[in-house]
Amino acid sequence: MTASAPRAPRPEGPYPPTDEMLARPVPSDLQEAQADRLRAAWRTPQGWRYWSAVNNSEVGVWYTLTAFGFMLIAGLLALAMRVQLAVPQNGVLDADRFNQFFTMHGSAMMFLFAVPMFEAFSILILPAFLGARDMPFPRLSAYGYWCFLIGGTFVMGSLLFDAAPKAGWFMYPPLATRELGIGSDIWLLGLSFIEIASIAAAVELIVGVLKCRPPGMRVNIMPLYAWYVLVVGGMILFAFPPLIAGDFLFELQRSFDWPFFDPERGGDPLLWQHLFWIFGHPEVYIVFLPSIAIAAMIVPTVARRPVVGYSWIVLSAVGTGFLSFGLWVHHMFTTGLPTISLGFFSAASEAVVIPTGIQLFAFVATLMVGRVRMSLPMLWIAGALAIFVAGGLTGVMLAIVPFNWQVHDTYFIVAHLHYTLFGGMVFPVIGGVYYFYPFIAKRLLSERLGRIAFWLIFVGFNVTFFPMHIAGLEGMPRRVFTYPAASGWGLWNMISTLGAFVIAGGFAVFVYDLLRSMGRRGDIPRNPWQAGTLEWSHDIPEEAWGARSIPYVTTRYPLWDQEGIVARMDAGRYYLPDAETGARETLVTSVIDARPLHIQTVTGPTWITHLAAIFTGGAFIFPTFHLYAPAVVCAVLAVAAIIWWLWTATARPPEIPVRDAGLDLRLPTYASGVNAPGWWGMWITMLGDATAFASLVFGFFFYWTARPDFPPAGAEHAAPFWVAAAALAFGLSWAATLVARQSNRAGSRGRAMALLAAGFVLTVAGCGAALLSVLALDPAAHVYPAILWALAVWLCAHGGVGAIMQGYCIAGLVAGKLTPDYDADLCNVTLYWHFLALTALTACAVLGIAPRLLA
Amino acid sequence: MTDPARSHDATSPRPDEDRQAFAEASESLWRITFGPALWALHFAGSYGVAAIWCAKVAAKGQDIAPLRLGFAVVTLAVLAAIGWLGWRSWRQWDYLGDRDYENAGANHEDRHQFLGHAAFLLSIVSFVGVVYTGLPVVFVQACR
Repeated sequence: MTASAPRAPRPEGPYPPTDEMLARPVPSDLQEAQADRLRAAWRTPQGWRYWSAVNNSEVGVWYTLTAFGFMLIAGLLALAMRVQLAVPQNGVLDADRFNQFFTMHGSAMMFLFAVPMFEAFSILILPAFLGARDMPFPRLSAYGYWCFLIGGTFVMGSLLFDAAPKAGWFMYPPLATRELGIGSDIWLLGLSFIEIASIAAAVELIVGVLKCRPPGMRVNIMPLYAWYVLVVGGMILFAFPPLIAGDFLFELQRSFDWPFFDPERGGDPLLWQHLFWIFGHPEVYIVFLPSIAIAAMIVPTVARRPVVGYSWIVLSAVGTGFLSFGLWVHHMFTTGLPTISLGFFSAASEAVVIPTGIQLFAFVATLMVGRVRMSLPMLWIAGALAIFVAGGLTGVMLAIVPFNWQVHDTYFIVAHLHYTLFGGMVFPVIGGVYYFYPFIAKRLLSERLGRIAFWLIFVGFNVTFFPMHIAGLEGMPRRVFTYPAASGWGLWNMISTLGAFVIAGGFAVFVYDLLRSMGRRGDIPRNPWQAGTLEWSHDIPEEAWGARSIPYVTTRYPLWDQEGIVARMDAGRYYLPDAETGARETLVTSVIDARPLHIQTVTGPTWITHLAAIFTGGAFIFPTFHLYAPAVVCAVLAVAAIIWWLWTATARPPEIPVRDAGLDLRLPTYASGVNAPGWWGMWITMLGDATAFASLVFGFFFYWTARPDFPPAGAEHAAPFWVAAAALAFGLSWAATLVARQSNRAGSRGRAMALLAAGFVLTVAGCGAALLSVLALDPAAHVYPAILWALAVWLCAHGGVGAIMQGYCIAGLVAGKLTPDYDADLCNVTLYWHFLALTALTACAVLGIAPRLLA
Repeated sequence: MTDPARSHDATSPRPDEDRQAFAEASESLWRITFGPALWALHFAGSYGVAAIWCAKVAAKGQDIAPLRLGFAVVTLAVLAAIGWLGWRSWRQWDYLGDRDYENAGANHEDRHQFLGHAAFLLSIVSFVGVVYTGLPVVFVQACR
């Protein structure tokens, strides 16, 4: 691993602070001067410049509202479908439009609401739980948000042009590969674009939890929400990349006719089902865990005592995170896999109930031993638990293979998934909105309207979805736009439709309450629920600085157990009470024990993120219309924008290497290697990237097990000479980068530059060799050359990024941005190269060696 | 992980904090995931080997006794490994030593024991998960 540069300054001064130090008063004129400087540094841009803000409190609100807006649109689609299904042989929607509506309903609820809502909500409230000023990479959040807005609007907008995807939210080939029109391309490219934004948010949130906790907040006392965010962030890194790899293959088939899913040319549609559900099932838990995390914050407040079984809930979160990856085939029980394989997945589907159930019992236990003060948020949580348990029980039924065969693709499934998602996501999130609204908007929502909305949605939900169990058991299939009267399903459908309008009424009340309260000025207590966690130390009226000073935390519920903590925070008697340089700063602490390590400058308002997002959007959206030249131009401009952003705003050598951080502690203002958040960001991103690559390699071996003729007898293989040359070039380039880092640390700038330049040339040569190795093969002829090509293209794309990074470091050395003491960029690039070297060697082994062993 | 900041702990509120066993540098969040990671390896391995066996080795309907035997051996080995992890983390939790169930204190010892507690509970869940994964092999006797 990469340690800090040898001459890097260390933290100096006493830590942890003693009681005497914490009791030391700060003169009131100094307090005011500090507060003014902080206020100036964190000032939200005004007027039209407001939209250049990157602070988590602004981006989080936009993100949440946008996701909520997409949810309302998707809900309206559902209402239209319910109207169509109300009576047999109805003609409100024709089959084609119905297909578009159910596809977009599912896709939007999952990709544009459920997952983004977790990210949005966490960006908004996580820093407050941690007493942090902001997330570690605010511009990354903003970039992610703008990507999400552009991609979501593009995908949703296709409905208006009657061009929306219509092959179902899981886009099974061969229906989706053969479908004419651009619907499937919109789905693939638009949503891949959003998936990248999701991964960006996951990186941000994981680094936030690991490195931006307040001093003293060890892993055994951090808020449970942070544990859940950590687990869910990790799950996103392993769940989304297989789908991105699948999208990559799928779009290659749709655009260039490479036959990955076409059985006539050796492909296999089941590979898509595997890649989709390796993403799709963990995704259910990615949606569920953060929502239940909101419950884990509300329940102790309501019970007025610490949560019972903190360790058990951590077990539950981590255990569910793992086990949820062993469930994906239970979506594929009817595809003819060997029964023994079905057995494994059936077993894991039953096993996941254990950790999932444990946290619910922990909540109930907390309520039982606490002194419960019922509140509106708790009403929503109670409703969530009731509905989720019902959905969980049908889940246990569905995990049993023979039962699953009976109800596969019927309305029973529709009922089950809505029970889990409403109970596991919608209800807790609305409860969270009521609970956190005073923190977010400094106002309270109406108790009376909230209760009306709750009962409308709760009753309406059960009226809508309970009858679907029966309709399903009576044989009604999913995704039919109408049904004959003789089927006898009419009554259940009519009840469901009536219920759907009751739900809609409830949402109307909720939205009215949100809109109504926006105009009103609130005068609310600072901690209206008398909660114990740090977010309720927020300022009223609102201040953009997050925390006036970053507290020293020694308990799980500091507002309950650390007397005077809020007053001390307000008086600037903790860490970083000042913004001497006028820059935005937050504290970076160690992973396990949260010891202060350094002061991190965080980035401020900018328009570069918008430019980067627009060009990234162009690179994804133009190919939908087969406009490849503008797409390439956009991709180049997006890369340029991102390089400019990184060059101007990140890892600049500091003017003052060590600064006062408050309480006599002096901290460095620069970090490289494992101490730097950027290093962690790179590490986590590359973990996700490696997962996507592993999915491609899985594809190769999947074809081998699924087809008797893979690789086909007598097939032409990749050119061995060029494969070996590519492996050698990438290996040497990796070594050159590694030695360049050491040389720079040793002070030999010239040698470092020469090595990086040699590395750059070798990388380009490696990419060329990789392409030459497959050049003679025709990827449209058979899946075997196609998957070799896909691996080579993947390797070259990563080689291109690696070469850009080497060039960036050469420029940094020339410009003095990189010095022997300040080498964060070079450390991060080396880390990237560790992963790239692994990718290259694996790719070359699969290209050159594996086919000869398997044939 | 290297730990350049360790040296700046000027004062230690508790003598326990100096004990090397509890030092932050010797602790890792990864460790609590070892149990579930063993479950994951065992699960993925079982699935992969069974899929390859049924595709390449055994014909449809053919008995898979060698696969089941090998599977039983590996499963027992994995269970033993998880049991060992569980035992180690039980020791780390040290519940019988101080009867501390919450480990909510702001000190090295509580953090160390909390991670032991979490790892212990996760080993139990992983153990049960591996037993569940093993069950199909008890019942399924052929590739179908």
